[in-house]
Amino acid sequence: MLLAAALCAGCGAADRAPDAAAVVHRFEEALNSRDGKAACALLNQQTAAKLAQQDGRPCEQAILAARLPAGRAVKHTSVYVTSASVSLADGGALFLDEAPRGWEISAAGCRPTGPDQPFDCDLED
Amino acid sequence: MRAFLKNNSLSLFFLALFLAALMGQAFAGHAAVNEDALRHGDPTMSMGRYVLSSEFGGAVLENWQSEYLQFTLFILTTVWLLQRGSPESKPLHKAGRESDKDQKVGEHARADSPRWAKVAGVRRALYQNSLLIVMAGIWVGSWFGQSVTGLSQYNTERLDHHQLPVSWLDYLGRADFWERTLENWQSEFLAVGSMAILAVYLRQRGSPESKPVGSPHEATGVEG
Repeated sequence: MLLAAALCAGCGAADRAPDAAAVVHRFEEALNSRDGKAACALLNQQTAAKLAQQDGRPCEQAILAARLPAGRAVKHTSVYVTSASVSLADGGALFLDEAPRGWEISAAGCRPTGPDQPFDCDLED
Repeated sequence: MRAFLKNNSLSLFFLALFLAALMGQAFAGHAAVNEDALRHGDPTMSMGRYVLSSEFGGAVLENWQSEYLQFTLFILTTVWLLQRGSPESKPLHKAGRESDKDQKVGEHARADSPRWAKVAGVRRALYQNSLLIVMAGIWVGSWFGQSVTGLSQYNTERLDHHQLPVSWLDYLGRADFWERTLENWQSEFLAVGSMAILAVYLRQRGSPESKPVGSPHEATGVEG
């Protein structure tokens, strides 16, 4: 049973990866069409609140002012337990957490800083 | 029923201890994980989800693999390696796989010997190594399980720190995997080695793991 559980450690990850990728795709499209409200709806609560607090404006205005890269294609998605990363065609990435209502973006505008190093993110919780 | 319990009391006792300890580990681990989640403002998880999680699976399997490795190595090395004076060792003149006569196989099998000890070929080859094969199989399976659950935990932590996850093969070369592995191996090797040498000089009256109390320290391969 435990071996089955071990093998099941990544169970469902493959099923959930397209959902995480779809959230990122919608986020990229929202930014591309300058729809700040739609983009903010895909962030998790802490990330949206932190952005609004730092910028001194509502999230939907602050996120457009942040000039995040937009409209990029999804290259690869990885899901582990309730966390996911979505790599994009330009080498950037977004990080997501799974909440009761589905995947929410916890970090966006992330750029690689070096091999095996944490990404540097414009928005994070 | 009473005879069955008495005749199998050793296995039954350890089975009961194992189940009780595993349940205790599940309850304690569940409480610890939820305590940590509350501290970080993360959602808690149900007991059902916890026992199927990589946290619980990893904690269990990394101990299993080291225990089964210990017995696998002990079974294998005591074929050839000796310890003068230890009840864990064979007599000093019996190092090696021993003759068919000593092992009561083939034409030397007795009427009540297991059937696969009497036959030749693959069946005997399998049967005469069956203990090692099964113990090694459980060890490899548990170790693989540890690597899968460890990878899941490791990558979850990487994602939390905004690092991309690593592959299973990459994880096998990482310090996290080997630290979890070796911290368990070293304690098993110490326990086996110390048992082999302490049993030369120390006794436990009535235990087959010890020599009889009055046996000389030099007596090798004698069980009490």
